[in-house]
Parts: sequence; structure tokens; C-alpha cells
Amino acid sequence: MATPDSDPAPGPLTLAEALRIAAANPPASTAGAMHVALACGFTPLHLHTFLCAQLRLRRPERHVRIIGGLYDDLPGTLERCLRERVDAVVLVLEWADLDPRLGVRRLGGWSPSLAGEIVEHAAETLTRLERLVRGAAAASPVVVSLPTLPLPPLFSTPGWLSSAHELQLRAHVSAFGAAAASHARVRVIGTQAIEAVSPAADRFDVKSMLFSGFPYRTAHASRLAELLARAVDNPLPKKGLITDLDHTLWRGIAGEDGPAHVSWDLEHQSQAHGLYQQLLRALSEEGVFVGVASKNDPAVVDEVFARDDLVLTREHVFPLAVSWGSKAQAVSRVLEAWNVHADSVMFVDDSPIELAEVAAAHPAIDCVLFPAHDPRGIYDLLLRLRDLFGRAVVSEDDRIRVASLRHRDAEAPASLDATDGYSEAVLERAQAELTLDFHLDAGDARALELVNKTNQFNLNGRRYTEREWAEHLSDRRAFLLTASYRDRFGPLGKVAVLAGRVEDANVHVDTWVMSCRAFARRIEHQCLKALIGRFAAPAITFGYRETPRNGPMTQTLRDLLGEAPEGNAALTAERFASVCPSLPHRVTVKDERSDERYAGAAR
Amino acid sequence: MSDTQARLVKVFGAVFPELAEGEILHASPESVAGWDSLASATLLTVLEEEFGVDVAAEDVDELVSFERVLEYLRRRSAV
Repeated sequence: MATPDSDPAPGPLTLAEALRIAAANPPASTAGAMHVALACGFTPLHLHTFLCAQLRLRRPERHVRIIGGLYDDLPGTLERCLRERVDAVVLVLEWADLDPRLGVRRLGGWSPSLAGEIVEHAAETLTRLERLVRGAAAASPVVVSLPTLPLPPLFSTPGWLSSAHELQLRAHVSAFGAAAASHARVRVIGTQAIEAVSPAADRFDVKSMLFSGFPYRTAHASRLAELLARAVDNPLPKKGLITDLDHTLWRGIAGEDGPAHVSWDLEHQSQAHGLYQQLLRALSEEGVFVGVASKNDPAVVDEVFARDDLVLTREHVFPLAVSWGSKAQAVSRVLEAWNVHADSVMFVDDSPIELAEVAAAHPAIDCVLFPAHDPRGIYDLLLRLRDLFGRAVVSEDDRIRVASLRHRDAEAPASLDATDGYSEAVLERAQAELTLDFHLDAGDARALELVNKTNQFNLNGRRYTEREWAEHLSDRRAFLLTASYRDRFGPLGKVAVLAGRVEDANVHVDTWVMSCRAFARRIEHQCLKALIGRFAAPAITFGYRETPRNGPMTQTLRDLLGEAPEGNAALTAERFASVCPSLPHRVTVKDERSDERYAGAAR
Repeated sequence: MSDTQARLVKVFGAVFPELAEGEILHASPESVAGWDSLASATLLTVLEEEFGVDVAAEDVDELVSFERVLEYLRRRSAV
């Protein structure tokens, strides 16, 4: 999967560069080809080229195919997208798509008497487009770019004033964008993002529009395509942020100035630290792990965290690795508590030396300087954090992530690792409840998210685009099992996914992932037990492949099989019964599918 | 080959990547199957980018072969 990113390319591509990059496309037969439908009312021309090039830059290993529609038939293009499953539909709107009189290629009149009618017609078009976008999103993710070009001079006001009609028109577009963005599979390009990289006055190419029907200057087309490609690629957000305390989370040194005298407010000229706290709190509430690595006296830090004016409160931070040991050691403790890989973590500190030490010990961590004496620099850092940690939708699973991690830590023995387990007594005391759900809903975003971001307990590291996942599950032999867990400490949410094929009672698992939060609870055993029971399978085969990070999965299979796993490792029901530990969970099995679907499978 | 001609060959190579250099020197809509109106628009934009010229609308119809484009650029002396 792509890594999160926030910084735009140093400059826009030229069209010649984009043509060369697009022409170097790998053969169409290459596995994992990316199919993207580009829907726009104007001639896609160079936008087609730039989008292909930007997608190729992000995914050089994949063949990129851009599917276009007919010029001047935006609704028709979108309707075709309803019938075709693609990796993404990219909808690029401009004013003329809402009413041709808002463009320059038609002469329908700019009379003052027509202004109201134009606005009304634009609103009707947007209503129709909204329906089409929702329809397209049912089949594929949709990326939407709202109009980026300046309006032509049709309204009666001079250009430095806004007319009521213009503002009404913009309000309709905003309402359309808001409705689209509320859909889980629709991503609307940020207006501020395009404004930051492409000046409004340098976007429209009237000569090109009149000559060929293409409205953008090449720099704007390149910049817009870069944002569109990023939205199509949909990079995974980072998972955790480790922050320093003194001169970072607050101004001052708690151990020297005293816990009561560190600050993060306007009165002490330290408001930027308060804004940093405010963003970290929001990130924590969105499911990002926020931890602390600080050289400090733990008792002093506790005193600061006891202050009721702290914006980032204790409940939003886990763990607090506070000691006089090295920063690198503190960071190691945090990573261990989170059980996430360093490459999905950022470390923020105001000291370049501390950053260098952590970078040396954990090269995969993104180490970032907190510019303590530069409010503008701090604000830029906040924007960067939002880009790297932001997510289009905050799910219930995201919201409970930090609390469940804290509960896991409270219950876990100090030496517990991924392959040890809780004792039966602990599991029984926890009153663990497991819901195992057999279904084939490709729209289960959490299931696909788990498949695409889990590294450690992952059968083979295979990732899927939404299109590939939907195709995988549409096979008549397919099964999908998801597991959700809760105990007396609260829910963990959906934590495990198994998928594969069933044919003549042969169960083959080609996808198996489990969140690291759910390790050691014997959930994996419950899943296999359910699978064997559901399909009366004499054995299960696993499409196992060793990856650089799936050690916990390898160990689990080794324990189950009694030997090192290899590709297509087979576990008999008999062997499973002999090695399966006691399973004290309360289990609910849901099965929404009809037996006919498994006509070939023994019951 | 002059500098202008060499740069123009690169421009044509970007727009018509399937053409060998020898074919580019004699390229025209008649000899290149992919030289349609969209290719003309792409060629025009890459030309403007590469040579920093602004081709007037009335000159566009003139740019119908490699040779004619080269002549046009030399005449413009903007290179």
C-alpha cells in the first residue's frame, strides 16, 4: 500500500514529461492493473495524460488505464460508470457542466434576466449529479473535484464584488460537495489544497478551451491531477505519534519551571503549544495512538497532567514513557506498548540531538522537529500532521482504538508478546464475547481496511484495491468471515478477517489478518473452529507466504501445524482439535448466506 | 542537426512515442496514424512549453508536418 504523504511535488510536471511517464506504462497484462474512469464535461485531453502520469508515479509497478467518456456528456459518462467496476471514478466538474452558459463555448446569453434561470438550472444539474455520484459510489470509490476555474463575467457586478446569483451558485456547489463528502466512498478534493498549489488566476486557458475544448493551463492540470491521483491512491494514514513534553507539548521545562508554570496559552505567548495539544487530542479521538517519550521525573509529569487546563488530557495519551533513560529507549517502550511498526509512526521533539538519537535507533520512524520558537512553523506542522494522520471517515473502531489499547495493557502480563497468550483465568475474567459473521459484503470498509493495513498477523501480505476485493468476493465459491470482539473492558470492534474459497468441502484460506490489538485472546482459534464447523471441512489449506513482518502469523501456523508453514499448508480438523486450547469466549455466529451458494460444499 | 531541430525531434518523440527518429523528420498527419485533432492539440501545447512561444490561433493550421513546424519556429526566431 502507499505510504501517507503530505508534501506536493516540487513543481508541476510539464506535458512532455507527463507524456513520457504515461508512455512508459507496464503492459496491460501486468498483475494489479489500475482502472480509473475519468468523467468530465470538457475534452479530458491533457488531464487524461497528467492523471495517468501521476498515478504511474505513485504506482510505477501497475499498468494504469484511464477510461474516458464522451465530450460534453458528463451524466452519460457517470451512468456508464454505474455499470462498470473500476478502481475509482474521478469526476472533475467545471462551471459549464452545470449550465453551458457558464462556459465559453456556447452563446446562450449572459443577459441579467437569465442569471436566476442559470442558477436554477445549475442547482437541478447538481441534484442529478448527486444521484449519479451516489450510484457510482455503490460500485467504486468516487473522487470529486468541484469547479476550480473562475466564473466568466456573466453576472452584472464588477469582478471585485460578488453578486447574489454568484453566491447562490457557489452555495449550491458547496451543498453538492457536502452531500457527496458525507458518503463513505466519495472523496472530495480539498479546495484549500488546490488553492495552495495552483493560483486561481493561472488556471484557465481560454485559447485552449476555444481551440480544443480543454480548459486548463498545463501547470493547473498537472497540480489538479496530482491531487486526484493522491485521492485515488488513498494512502493509509500513519498510526501513531510520539511526542516530547518540555518545549513541545507545552512551553517551559516542567522539572525546572515547576508543573504549575509550564504554559500553552495566549497569556504566556505559548498558544501554539495549546494548538498542538488540541490537534493531538483530536487525533487521539480519531483513533491515532498518541504516546509520550520524555526525559523527565514521572512525578512531575503526573502533576502537569493533573492540571485541569491541559487540552491533551491523560486519557488521550498512552503510554507515558517518562524516565531519565534515553529517548530511543522511551520510544522503544511506546512502540512495544502499541505493537505497531515504526514506519507508521512519527516522533516529534524540539531537540535535534534527541531526534538524531531516535532516528539512529529507529530508522523507519518519521522524526520531525518541533519548531518551539516559531508559531508559523508550528502551524505548518499542524497542517502536515493533519495530512499524514487524517482519514476521510472516522469509524466506531477508530474511536475505541485508544481505549481498548489501554485496557489491553492493563490486563496483559508485562512479558506478553504476540505469540504468548492470556491465561484462561484472565480470559474468563474478561468475559470475552466474540461475534463471528459470515457474509460477502465487499462494502464492509473495516474488513478491507484490516486486510490492507495489517502486517504482523497476516497470512501472506496480499493487499487489495476495492475493485479487486469486490471481484474476489463475487466468486461463487468465496467466503468471508469477520470477527468482532468485546469484553468487560469495552469493545475492540472488528479485529479479524478470513477470506477464501470453498469447493467440494475443501476450504482454502487466501486472506487472514488480525489486528495486533486482538493478539493472545485465542480469537484465531475461534475463527478456525467456526470455519471447520460451518463447512464441515476435513481440512483447511492456507495460502501462506512469509513476509518481512508476519512473524506472529508464522508462529501461529507453526503452533497449529507442528512444523514450519509453507505455501498451501494444510491443517486437518483432527489436528486442530488436538491442539486447540480451551476457548472461554461467548460466541455468536451470524450467517447471512444461503446454502445454495455453497451447493458444492459438504455441510 | 540544429539545436532547434533536435529539440523539435524530442517534442515529436513525446507526442508520438511510437515513431523512430527517422520517421519523425518526415511526420505529417498523412504519414502518422495517430496524428488526429487531439494529437494536434497536444503537439501545440508541448511546442509552446518547450520553445516558450505562443502560437496564434490563425497559425495553428500551418503546423501540419515536422518540416512545417520547424520552418514556423525558425521564422518566429523565438528559439
